[in-house]
Amino acid sequence: MNKKREVKVTAQGSLGILALGSEGIRLWRKAVAEEARKDKPVLKKTNEKEA
Amino acid sequence: MKKKRKVLVIGWDAADWKVIDPLIAQGKMPALKSLMDRGVYGKIQTLDPPLSPMLWTSIATGFRADTHGIGGFVEPNPDGTGLRPVTSTSRKVNAIWNILHNQGYKSNVVAWWPSNPVEPINGVMVSNLYQVANDTVDKDWVMPKGTVYPKSLTDEMKQWRVHPGEITLSMTLPFIPNLADDKELRKEKRVAGIVKVLANAASVHAASTHLLATTDWDFTAVYHDAIDHFSHLAMKYHPPRRKEIAEKEFENYHLVVESAYRFQDMMLERCLDLIDEETTVMIVSDHGFHSDHQRPLYIPQEPSGPAVEHSPYGILVMAGPGIRTGGQRISGASILDITPTLLALYGLPVGKDMEGKVLHAALAEGTQVQEIDSWEKIEGDFGRHDPDLQEDPWEAAEALQQLVDLGYIDEIGDDKLLAVEKAKRENRYYIARNLINAGKLKPAIAILETIFEESKVLRYGQRLAFALLSSNQLVKCQRLINELRALERQNATERRQAHSANKTEGKDLFENKEFEEPMYLELVEGLLHLKVNRTHLALPLLEKVQQKNPGNFQVALNIGKIFNLRKNYVAAEKQFIKALAIDDRNAHAHHGLGLSFLRRGNFELAVDEFMAALNENFFLPTVHYHLGEAFVKTGYYSQAVDAFTVAVRLSPGMTKAHKWLVELYTKQLNQPEKAKEHVAFLHGNIRGNKMIVTGLQGSGYQFILEEIKRLGGELYEAADETLIKRFLDPRVLKLHQSSDWLSQEPDTILYVPPQFLAYLPHNVNYKCIVVEADDAVLLDYQSAAKGGIRKESFSVKLSQLVRKNKLKLSSWIEAQPAMEIFFSGDVHNGLNNSQKEELKLFFEQDKTVKIETDS
Repeated sequence: MNKKREVKVTAQGSLGILALGSEGIRLWRKAVAEEARKDKPVLKKTNEKEA
Repeated sequence: MKKKRKVLVIGWDAADWKVIDPLIAQGKMPALKSLMDRGVYGKIQTLDPPLSPMLWTSIATGFRADTHGIGGFVEPNPDGTGLRPVTSTSRKVNAIWNILHNQGYKSNVVAWWPSNPVEPINGVMVSNLYQVANDTVDKDWVMPKGTVYPKSLTDEMKQWRVHPGEITLSMTLPFIPNLADDKELRKEKRVAGIVKVLANAASVHAASTHLLATTDWDFTAVYHDAIDHFSHLAMKYHPPRRKEIAEKEFENYHLVVESAYRFQDMMLERCLDLIDEETTVMIVSDHGFHSDHQRPLYIPQEPSGPAVEHSPYGILVMAGPGIRTGGQRISGASILDITPTLLALYGLPVGKDMEGKVLHAALAEGTQVQEIDSWEKIEGDFGRHDPDLQEDPWEAAEALQQLVDLGYIDEIGDDKLLAVEKAKRENRYYIARNLINAGKLKPAIAILETIFEESKVLRYGQRLAFALLSSNQLVKCQRLINELRALERQNATERRQAHSANKTEGKDLFENKEFEEPMYLELVEGLLHLKVNRTHLALPLLEKVQQKNPGNFQVALNIGKIFNLRKNYVAAEKQFIKALAIDDRNAHAHHGLGLSFLRRGNFELAVDEFMAALNENFFLPTVHYHLGEAFVKTGYYSQAVDAFTVAVRLSPGMTKAHKWLVELYTKQLNQPEKAKEHVAFLHGNIRGNKMIVTGLQGSGYQFILEEIKRLGGELYEAADETLIKRFLDPRVLKLHQSSDWLSQEPDTILYVPPQFLAYLPHNVNYKCIVVEADDAVLLDYQSAAKGGIRKESFSVKLSQLVRKNKLKLSSWIEAQPAMEIFFSGDVHNGLNNSQKEELKLFFEQDKTVKIETDS
């Protein structure tokens, strides 16, 4: 059954958060909203379109 | 009460053991390793062409493309105004989730390719368009129509999508550590691509984990394209660095592929956390991805060009209830086997019409498998689209054009129609290749003939040549190769002219010169020469192909065969080892290697290789025969008897195996009574081999017969006849009345004019030398022989006669699938040294079979 994990999620985000799936994303977005975002997205608007 | 089966299938597009094995050894993929340790694992064979929408549909249905209907990446828009990504409405058969729906099971299907629009199944379906971001992160991210079923879940599912614009620097550092300090690097298009793939993977994973955790399900299928896409973006930078790759680029991107696999494993770990022990898990890929020296040096600039990076074997791992335990490796799986195996796991009957098999080696012992004629014939609700929505888009496009022609709807732009037309041909081309892959040559040839005729696209012609070769239509194949050569020259001239005209614009019109397989025409021509025993022509061609395309299995295998024929066993061995490095499960490569060992006296190694060949394919009589020979050489006579016995069971007409059995039973095993049946067989039923020479008057067949005579061959020869009739046994002209005499003279070599070939008895194994000549040469000769005028004006009647006899010759050859054949090439003025050498090899081939048990 669903195993509980101790997960510390910050707004900075890491690959481990994405790997946690929906739960990781929920916690990450919450942290982003609560903290001042220190870690900017890697893509600038200009090359985001290329993605 | 018996618990209901629960299965989680996770698709990892392009996952390959060659990348995984070293990562597992370093402890970098613990989740996959845990499944392998407690279940079964192995390679899984893909289908040709290795194009993902076609393959994932085969995985989900158990059918090939000609039946399931998904050929390529695109299909026409319903309004005929262009193309769109291939949709689920084009699928003509039930997918596994449709069958489960019909049987009352609940399924979740996430991002399967193609699955848009979603089907109304019992459960949840999220389509392959779910994760695709269509605008920048600050804009509203609209969910395309048909993305989620039931529709009521659309808003709930929306929140799990991760936009590339959300991906942070720290998320990308495991893939590209240099991004931390190199701000210029962040602007590279490749980085944007990697970020997009990462975001897509995160979206699919989030959607699937959400459904795993929150829904009640019996079956969940999730498709991830991340490994495939990361590999297309960066496999060329995967270690070891190739000399073509700049050091700086290697340094930037060398971790991308490794991190892709590790990330996929991290996601797997999360999925395993979310399921219970009662769930069976399957990880499957549709094909592999070249990660070593076989990585191509270029990507062809044509539809589906990147598929050249795909390798023929993917991965399969299964663990959990219903699966064998203990971490056993299994072999022989094909992607067509997934649906039948899943049905067996659920205890549901497998459709007899399905083209795959149940993987018994993976299933727990005692698993009972039931069968049903076809799931397609069962009435009822399968959770499929409304029949109005289900249509063949290519037929719809044609119907649309008819309406345009009738003036009912507006004209569609020529460029758009052309694009649809081109895509339609390309789609049919993929289906034809899939048919060739299945050995269904007749329908493949029909498709290829049509699309080649319509378009004169070289690739289509090349595959057609291969299909003709495979179906033994050798004369037609040779003609087509000549046509393709002329077409190639014409294309090159046009390219050169266009190039000089566009020089000032700096356009490189040569960029499209490469094809999906380099030098494919040379390969087919080489194989054709080999098939007709013209090894002096085959070898240089195949060696040229090998230089350009070192990873081609067929080339290495066939060069090895040539070296074996020429008794150059050391060179042959190298080629077979090369072939086995590409495909270590190929029975023919193991056989060839074994033969080179056998002939060099390495009998034990030979036995090992023959056993390996039979382990992959038991039904190869020649391998059993050679295994028998190897056992004789090592003194294992009873094992040799077993091997020869299997050989004659598989191929009752194999005279040489009967001869060995007679020899062994009488001289070595002292069981003369057992030899009797084989003695009787040799004297009775089997008429043995017979070498014949055929060719029209004027082809120069007399030169061939003279050379055979010089080599010691026994021929009919009339002393007082003219040149024309010198080698023509008068009994040949009465073959239609009586042919018994023929098998009673096994050692004499017979000249048979093409018009008499049809009267040759069927119970004789023929070895045939075909003397070829151009029509002009034949007409010139025959016209002169009849006292007519030469060349300038041949009689129409004579010309028709020559054509008719040529047709008789090619039809007869096509009807002799197992015949050893030698095409002489042009000898109307005599044989050159190479032709003499080839003829000698062909003539002496059978003489190498010597029964020498005492050696």
